[in-house]
Amino acid sequence: MSNIKKGTSRERNEFMWGWLFILPTMVGLIILNIIPIFQTIYQSFFKTGDFGKGNIFIGAENYIRLLSDGEVWQSVLNTFKYAIVEVPFSIALSLVLAVLLNRKMKGVSTYRTIFFLPMVAAPAAVAMVWRWLFNTEFGLLNHVFHSSTQWISDPRIAVFSIAVIGIWSIIGYNMVLFLAGLQEIPRDYYEAADIDGANGIEQFFNITVPLLSPTIFFVSITRIIGGLQVFDLIFMVMDKNNPALYKTQSIVYLFYQNSFVENNKGYGSTIVVLLIAIIMVITVFQMVAQKKWVYYN
Amino acid sequence: MKRRNKFFALGLSAALAVTTLAGCGGSAGGGDTGNGGGGDAGGKLTVAIWDNGQQPGLQQILNDFTEATGIETQLQVIEWNSYWTLLEAGASGGDMPDVFWMHSNEAVRYMSNGILLDITDKVNASETLEMDKFPDDLKNMYTYDGKIYALPKDMDTVAIWYNKDMFDEAGIPYPDGSWTWDEFYDIAKQLTKEDGSQFGFCANPSNEQDTWMNTVYTLGGCVLNEEGKSGFDDPKTVEAMEFVDKLVKDTMPPASTMSETGTDVLFGSGKIAMISQGSWMVAAFKDNEYIAAHADVARLPKDPETGRSISLYNGLGWSASAGTKNPEGAYKLIEWFASKDMQQKQAELGVTMAAYEGVSDQWVNNTDVFNLQPYLDAMDDVVFRPATKSTLAWWNPMVEELKKPWNGEEDMATACANIAKIMNEKIAEEN
Repeated sequence: MSNIKKGTSRERNEFMWGWLFILPTMVGLIILNIIPIFQTIYQSFFKTGDFGKGNIFIGAENYIRLLSDGEVWQSVLNTFKYAIVEVPFSIALSLVLAVLLNRKMKGVSTYRTIFFLPMVAAPAAVAMVWRWLFNTEFGLLNHVFHSSTQWISDPRIAVFSIAVIGIWSIIGYNMVLFLAGLQEIPRDYYEAADIDGANGIEQFFNITVPLLSPTIFFVSITRIIGGLQVFDLIFMVMDKNNPALYKTQSIVYLFYQNSFVENNKGYGSTIVVLLIAIIMVITVFQMVAQKKWVYYN
Repeated sequence: MKRRNKFFALGLSAALAVTTLAGCGGSAGGGDTGNGGGGDAGGKLTVAIWDNGQQPGLQQILNDFTEATGIETQLQVIEWNSYWTLLEAGASGGDMPDVFWMHSNEAVRYMSNGILLDITDKVNASETLEMDKFPDDLKNMYTYDGKIYALPKDMDTVAIWYNKDMFDEAGIPYPDGSWTWDEFYDIAKQLTKEDGSQFGFCANPSNEQDTWMNTVYTLGGCVLNEEGKSGFDDPKTVEAMEFVDKLVKDTMPPASTMSETGTDVLFGSGKIAMISQGSWMVAAFKDNEYIAAHADVARLPKDPETGRSISLYNGLGWSASAGTKNPEGAYKLIEWFASKDMQQKQAELGVTMAAYEGVSDQWVNNTDVFNLQPYLDAMDDVVFRPATKSTLAWWNPMVEELKKPWNGEEDMATACANIAKIMNEKIAEEN
């Protein structure tokens, strides 16, 4: 980097073209993401007026209210519950699927397409279909199991039912990432393991998982962030009269309610700043922990 | 070094991913999404509404307008939730539609911030408008500080829908509107089967305007009192809400069923004998084969002592953006909608009841599937839907709190006390 100025004209040329190619993304990121980050943090110190006019600076008052707001902490708990179910299950299931579909067999691309399909469907449509599958009175699930479980209106299980939808929706996407990772693992390792007499399961844990660990790491980081941001599923599936809503609403759902429904953008921003902080901490923690289990060859 | 950069990038993208969300709620400057308003789509006036069911009828009225004035219009329907998000974004510094619907939930906020076009002078100078033909409540709703910001579009009232087959089966005569709430309770109880296959009545906490608020006002309570404070600490209100609670417990399906499936769907699938609904649902019910074949309409029950049957009513307003590039044209269009002929046409086409006095008979006659007269009769004794400067700030917590007694987690008196407290706090914050 330091010798750029002294570099050959070719190096300089590449340097310039490199920047030119990432410029559109950079501009987009700065305008759509980075500036709003700071505006949001700034706004969280205000009692916001209507239509962005007449904001009053109130210092840390929103944060003081946040600390004693039981609804917010309940939503943090709900969000964690959701993520704790969705992330591990979606990763484990899609990893197994990817391994099973990473070989020569009849109709492999058909299977891959089937598992990837939920990713193509609009989340709102997915949620509407699941809402009816879960319906206590007329739902297919209760019909098949001859039960009368209140999948989405029993406060004890509703958040997990939502997580099931989340898992179903994301499996295909994770699977494609894992498949890409699996293609990179050289066949030689498996051949050597075969000669040594290792069976499929031993090969999976001793070759596949370690060599796939960078991909697993990437998927888990992005999924945890995605899981903590869950909103659309809850928004679509949970009616506002639903008795389980309080124990299901996520942080982003609460942000939406405050900012857009009740027009309190200052407090809404405060809630989102809390979410940023939580995600930052978890991500940093994962960065440190990955040194122990991620192998880069 | 390389690796660290990669991780830094990951961490950064983590932060970015979450703030993208915040971004949309973020600033005043960045709200323009482009697909919403567009003040000058080739000189056309853009018109925004949220109800799909009204689009065909209103389009006809707009076509007449273009024919009469030569001003082109473009009608767009935006679903309720997105409608307000979009309008808010437009008002905070983007493009707004030229002409659009206003609702009592939001009107004061938009008027007091100068978002809407002040049409006072034009209305006063108008030769076609007959302002005295509109109800005062509705005119006042869209007037702020003595200035007029919108003209009344329509009106809605509430009535009971009943399933004729279920009344026949139980040998109960069809309601003729002379019933009291106590009689209503008895009938609903009789129509509730023990095995859970049929219930007498149903309502969610969020069916406020169309259900329990009518009961509250009829039985002498109120939601907002004369001082503009919460009426939930009024003993009459509490008494009425306890009556509602009795209906919930004895005649309705479990709260979870009602919230999951929706009261309209339950009624439309023959599980419910009676439902209370606003006149805005008529178009949808007409399209529902089961309801069209099995249901009819009766007036809301009365208070046993006073003999009064009170329905809430509400009405939308046609307003224009203060920043419109064509204020003359926008006003002309609003005036057009509020003229007697077009109010009558709106009723004839079955779009909605008219705000203009005396032309809603046409709306009643637009269908022979149901007898819609009870909705018109309800106009005899109405209360305007309660609203303050920032209605939704207390409206949502109110509904949220009512979910507890609905679900049997709290008794109704406690819920009313809590609602009174929340409401008064939120209302005090408004100023």
